[in-house]
Amino acid sequence: MSSFVSKKALPRRTFLRGIGAALSLPLLDAMIPAATASTKTAALPVRRLGYVFMPMGCDQSRWTPRGTDGKLSELSPILASLAPHREHVTAFTNLELRNAYPGSHATSNSSFLSAAKAKHTESSDYYLGTTADQLAARQLGRDTQLASLELSMDMLQTTGQCDNGYACVYQNNLSWSSPTTPLPSEAHPRIVFERLFGEGGSLLERRASLRQRASLLDWITEDISSLKQKLGPADRAKIAEYLDTVREVERRIQKAEADVALSPLPPDLERPLGVPASYTEHAKLMFDLQVLAMQGDITRVTTFQLARETSNRTYAVETGVADPHHPLSHHGNDPDKIARMAKINAFHVSLFAYFLERLKATPEGNGTLLDHSLLLYGSGIGNPNVHDHTNLPILVAGGAAGGMKGGRHIRYDKPVPLANLHLTLLDKVGVNIERFGDSSGKITDLFTPLSV
Amino acid sequence: MPRFFDQLIASCLRALAPAVAISGLLGPQVAQADVASVHPAEVLIGRYCMDCHDDTINKGGLSLEGIAAKTPASDPLLWEKVLRKIDHQQMPPIGEERPSSAEYQQVVTFLKTELDRAASAAPEPGRTDTFRRLNRTEYQNAIRDLLALQIDATALLPNDEPARGFDNVTVGNLSPTLLDRYVSAAQKIARLAVGASRKTPGGDTFRVPPDLTQEGHIEGLPLGTRGGTLIPYTFPQDGEYEIQIRLARDRNEQVEGLKAPHDIEVLIDGERVAFATVKPPGADKNAEAVDQHLKFRVPIKAGPHHVGVAFIKNPSVLIETERQPFVARFNMHRHPRTAPALYQTSITGPFNSSGPGDTPSRRLIFGETARGGVLVNDEVRARAILAPLLHRAYRRPINDDDLHRLLQFFREGSAAGAGFEAGIESALAAILVAPQFLIRVETDPAGLAPGTVYRISDLEFASRLSFFIWSSLPDNELLEAAGRGDLRQPTALEQQVRRMLADPRALNLATNFAAQWLHLRGLESVAPDVRRFIDFDDNLRHSMRRETELFFENIMSADRPVTELISADYTFLDERLAKHYGVPHLYGSHFRRVSFAGMAERQRGGLLRQGSILTVTSYATRTSPVIRGNWILANLVGAPAPPPPPNVPALDDSHVSATLPIRARLAAHREKPVCASCHNLMDPVGFSLENFDAVGRWRMTEEQLPVDAKGGLPDGSKFEGVSGLEQALLARPDLFAATLTEKLLTFALGRGVELSDAPAIRAIVRRAEADDFRFSSLILGLVNSPPFQMRRTPTP
Repeated sequence: MSSFVSKKALPRRTFLRGIGAALSLPLLDAMIPAATASTKTAALPVRRLGYVFMPMGCDQSRWTPRGTDGKLSELSPILASLAPHREHVTAFTNLELRNAYPGSHATSNSSFLSAAKAKHTESSDYYLGTTADQLAARQLGRDTQLASLELSMDMLQTTGQCDNGYACVYQNNLSWSSPTTPLPSEAHPRIVFERLFGEGGSLLERRASLRQRASLLDWITEDISSLKQKLGPADRAKIAEYLDTVREVERRIQKAEADVALSPLPPDLERPLGVPASYTEHAKLMFDLQVLAMQGDITRVTTFQLARETSNRTYAVETGVADPHHPLSHHGNDPDKIARMAKINAFHVSLFAYFLERLKATPEGNGTLLDHSLLLYGSGIGNPNVHDHTNLPILVAGGAAGGMKGGRHIRYDKPVPLANLHLTLLDKVGVNIERFGDSSGKITDLFTPLSV
Repeated sequence: MPRFFDQLIASCLRALAPAVAISGLLGPQVAQADVASVHPAEVLIGRYCMDCHDDTINKGGLSLEGIAAKTPASDPLLWEKVLRKIDHQQMPPIGEERPSSAEYQQVVTFLKTELDRAASAAPEPGRTDTFRRLNRTEYQNAIRDLLALQIDATALLPNDEPARGFDNVTVGNLSPTLLDRYVSAAQKIARLAVGASRKTPGGDTFRVPPDLTQEGHIEGLPLGTRGGTLIPYTFPQDGEYEIQIRLARDRNEQVEGLKAPHDIEVLIDGERVAFATVKPPGADKNAEAVDQHLKFRVPIKAGPHHVGVAFIKNPSVLIETERQPFVARFNMHRHPRTAPALYQTSITGPFNSSGPGDTPSRRLIFGETARGGVLVNDEVRARAILAPLLHRAYRRPINDDDLHRLLQFFREGSAAGAGFEAGIESALAAILVAPQFLIRVETDPAGLAPGTVYRISDLEFASRLSFFIWSSLPDNELLEAAGRGDLRQPTALEQQVRRMLADPRALNLATNFAAQWLHLRGLESVAPDVRRFIDFDDNLRHSMRRETELFFENIMSADRPVTELISADYTFLDERLAKHYGVPHLYGSHFRRVSFAGMAERQRGGLLRQGSILTVTSYATRTSPVIRGNWILANLVGAPAPPPPPNVPALDDSHVSATLPIRARLAAHREKPVCASCHNLMDPVGFSLENFDAVGRWRMTEEQLPVDAKGGLPDGSKFEGVSGLEQALLARPDLFAATLTEKLLTFALGRGVELSDAPAIRAIVRRAEADDFRFSSLILGLVNSPPFQMRRTPTP
C-alpha cells in the first residue's frame, strides 16, 4: 500500500474555476479515493485503455516526425509539446481507414474506433460496428462501476441533416456498444462527476439513493416484461435489448453500493457546477475527470472527442488563429491557411500532453497511472482538405508495465489498416479476437516480447 | 376515414375529369384496360428518357425498360419515382430535349390519377417504430403537463440524435447511460415536485453567453435597466436562497467596462430584492474584490419564479455616445464593452427552510385529496392522488394491477417515519421511470397476418395527435374522447384539432417543429467571423430566431395560407434586428409586426428574406450559394440534390484557388461533370439570394462589384433576386405545400417519409389547396391520412 494519493494530484484549481465562487470547495480535496488498491493490478500489467479523438486530420507535413531511423529523436512542430513524454510515445505513419470511404466527416468519426463501414442512412436503421473501446470495456469493465466513460467537448447539438446523408449519430458518437447502439457522450463536467461519484451528499444519503435506484430498476424490468406478451417476435428482440440495458445499470448500482460500503470516498462530496468558459480549461477539466475515474478505478476505458468533425470552433485565444477550424481545414492548399491549421493541431496535441503529464504525476503501485495505461491519440482523417482517410495522424502512449517501446516512429511504406493497431491494443488488455474491422494482422513491434 | 377519402378522391376525379378523359376514361374498368395497352406516360418515356435510362446505360441506377408493361398500380414505387422527377420537371435534365409543358402536364395528371386510384383501393400507411422513447423536448413538456413543473431537460438528459431532419426519429434506443440519466432525472423531479427537504442545499449556476451585448435593455427586465439576464427557476422550498453574481472579465482578468461606479439589482418576479454598487478597483487593480460582495441572502417562496439580474442604466453620458458605430459590444479589442456585464448567476439553497410551501405542483398533486372529501386513511389518499397521474402518464385507462405495484413504492417510501409525502415522492419517481411512461408503444392487434394494414387504436391515435401538435402527453379531454370511441368521428376530430391548435401548447409547432425544419437550432452554433461581421452578437442571434418563430407562429395562429411563409410582405422585428436590417424608426426590445406592403424594392418579409435562415446557410466568412441552394431544394421544393457520389475527385483536381469570387469559384467547380450534375441544380438557386450577405444584411455590391443575383430552379425557370425566386416557388404552391407536408409527416410519425407515402401527401395537399392552403387544412388533412391513422404489421 504505497500508493497514497498525494494532494498534488487534485485538479483543485481547475475545479475552482469551473465552479465559480458560490460554492465551498475544500471537500474536493478529499474527493480522490485514497489508496487505490494497487494490489488489484497484478493480473494484467496494462489495465486501462484511453482513446482521444482529434477532429479533421492535420497538416501532415508538420505532423510527421523527421528521421527515418525509427526513433522519435526529432519531434515535428505539431508534436513539439510531447517532448517531456517522448519515451512514452510512439508515432505511426501511414495507417489508414479503408472503411471510411467515400471520404466524409461522418465516417472519419464513426470509423475511428470501429474501422467499420457506416451504413449510408439518415434514419433509425443506422448500422456501424462495435467499437474497439467497447470490446475492451466488456473485458476490462467487468469489475468496475462503469464499464466505460464516453466524453466530448461540444455542448450544442447539431441539427438537421448532418453530413452527406449520414445520420448524425455517426458524426457525434465515437463509441458503439453494438452495431446499432451508439453511446452518447457527455461534455458537462458536473454530469460526468455525477456519473462517477453520484450526486454527492452524505454517506447515508448516497446509500439510500442507491437503494431507491435499485428498486426503481426492478420495477422497470417488471414493466418491460409485462409488455412482452403483447408484442410480435420482431419487437420482442427490442425488449431483450432493453432488459440488457437495465441489467447493465443494475450492475453499476451494485458496484457503486459496494464502493460506498468500502467508502474510498470521503463522507461528503461536492460537485463542479458549471462549464468552464475557456476551451482549454474545459478540456483540462475533462482530462482531470478521466484521471480521477482511472485513479479511483471507477472505469478503465475512456473515450474523449476533443471536438466534433466539422466543428466550427475557433481557438483564437489558445492559438491566435481566428478562423473556425472546419473551413480552415479545407485550406485549398493555401500555405498560410495550412500554417494556421497546424497551430490548431499542435494545440490539440498539447492537451494530450497535459493528459500524459497528469497520468505520469499520479502514482499507482510501483509506478504511475501512465505505466498501467495505453492511450491512443489521433484522427480519422489524414489530409482534411480532401476528406482523405489515409496517412492518419496516430500516436500511442503508454508506460513501462505493458512493455511498450516508446520513443519510436513506426513508418510504413504502404498503408496499413488502423484496425491492426486496434487489434494489437485489444490483445494487450486481454481481448483475444482474430480480426477487427478490416484488420490484416497485428503490429508486432510495438511491445517488447515478454521474456519468460 | 374511408368515407373522407372516397369523397376526396371522388371530388378530385371530378375536378380532373377533362384531363382524365385524355386517357379515355369511361369507367374504371375500361381505363385499366386502356392503360395496359398504351398510356401517355409510355409515349413520353420512350421518347425522352430511354437514351439514358435503358438497361445498358442505366443512368443513376434507374432503368425504365419494360416499364410500359407495368401499370402504375402494379409497380407504384417505380412510377412514383418517375412522377416525382417529371412533376418537378427535373428530368430530362436542362440541355436535353424536354417535353412541352402540356406534355408534362398530361402525363403528370395521368400518373397522379392512376397512382391515387390504386392507393385509395389499397392504402399504404407504412410502419412506425413500435417503441419510441420520449425525447428530451417531449419529456420536458410531459413533466410540465403532468406535474405542473417547468424543468430544463437539457440539464438532465443527453442530446437526441437528429435523423431525417428531426430529433424524434431515431428514438428506439435505450443505452445504459440514457437509462441511468432517466432514473436520476426521475428522482430529482419527484423531489422537486413534492418539495421534499434536502439535507444539504442544492445549487445551479446560469451563465450568460459570452457574446451577449449588455449595453441595452433586455426584454423581460424593468425599463430603465440594461443588460443582465432573466432566469426562470423553480425553488424547491420556502426558505432563504443565496444569489451570487459574477461580472464578465476580459483576458487580463479585469472587469470589462468598469470605469465608473455602476448599480446592479436583483429581482424576483420583477420586484427588487437586492441592490449593490460596483466600483472600479483601486490602484492595486485587484479585480478579484470588485464583485465579491455581490452575494445576497434572499427569502423566497417555493415554486416557479423569475430571477432577474440587471444594471441600472446610467444616463447616457458623452463617453458612451461619442462613438457608436457598432451595436455589438462584447469584445475587448474590436468593440469593447462600455459598461460592466453579467457573467454568471449562482442560486444556492434553501437555507433555514420553512417547508415545502404552496406551489402549482403541490396543488396539482395533493389538491386531489381536498376534492375527495374525507378520506379514511393514507393508502386511500395515496390511491386518489396517484390514479389520475398514472392515467395521464400512461396515456390509457389504468387498472388495479397498475396501482397495486405503485402503492408498494408509496409504502416503502413512507415507511420508517418518512411520512406520507415521502411515499408520494417515491411513487412519483416510479411513474417517471416506468417504461410505459417513457416509451410510446404501438402494438399490432393479435392475430393479424404479416403485412396487414390496420387502424391503430383510438388511444394510440390520441397519443399520436398530442405528440404531433404539442410534443407532449394527451390531456384528459383527448383521453376521454378516445375512451368514448368518438375521437375519430370527423366533426369531433376537427373540433379536437382546432382546440389543440388554439392551445398555447401548440406553439411547440413553431419552437420545435419549425425550428428543426428551418434549421433555426443551428443558429446557436453559428459564429460569423468577427472581423467581417463585427456587429454579430448573441442578441442578434436571439432576435433572428425569434423573428422566424413569431412569423411561423402567426401563420399558424391566424390560420393563414402556408404560401404566405414565402410571399409575406410583413415580418416581426425588434429594435436590434431592425437596425441590422436597416429598417428605421423602430425602438425597444419587444417584437412587433412590421408591414412592408406596397414598398418598391422590398427587402424583408417571407422566410427567404429572414436573417435566421440566411445566416445558418452561410459560412463564417461568406455566403454559400451551394448550402442556400440545397437548403431551399431540400426544405421548400422537396427535391434535394443527392449526396456527393462515391468517386471523390482525385487529389490534384480538388485545388481550386480560394481567391476567385464566389460565383467564379463555383463555376470552376461546375465544369467537372461529376460535380456539375448536382451543382447545376443547387448553385443557381442560391445565387438568387446573393443580395443578402452571410448574416442576412441587404447588399448591392460585393467586394466593390455589383451583386449578380441571377438564378434559376432545376425545372429550368430563370429569374433574378429573391423576389424572382419567391415568384418561381409560388408558381407551384403545390410543391411547396407537399414539401411542408412531408416535413410535418416526418415529425408527426417519427419516421422517414417514403415514396409509398406520396399518394397520402398528394391527398393532403389537394384538400389544402381547396382551402387556399390554410395551415389548419394541412394539419387536418395530415391527421386524416392513412399514414397517421393506420399502420402495417411487419413483413418478414
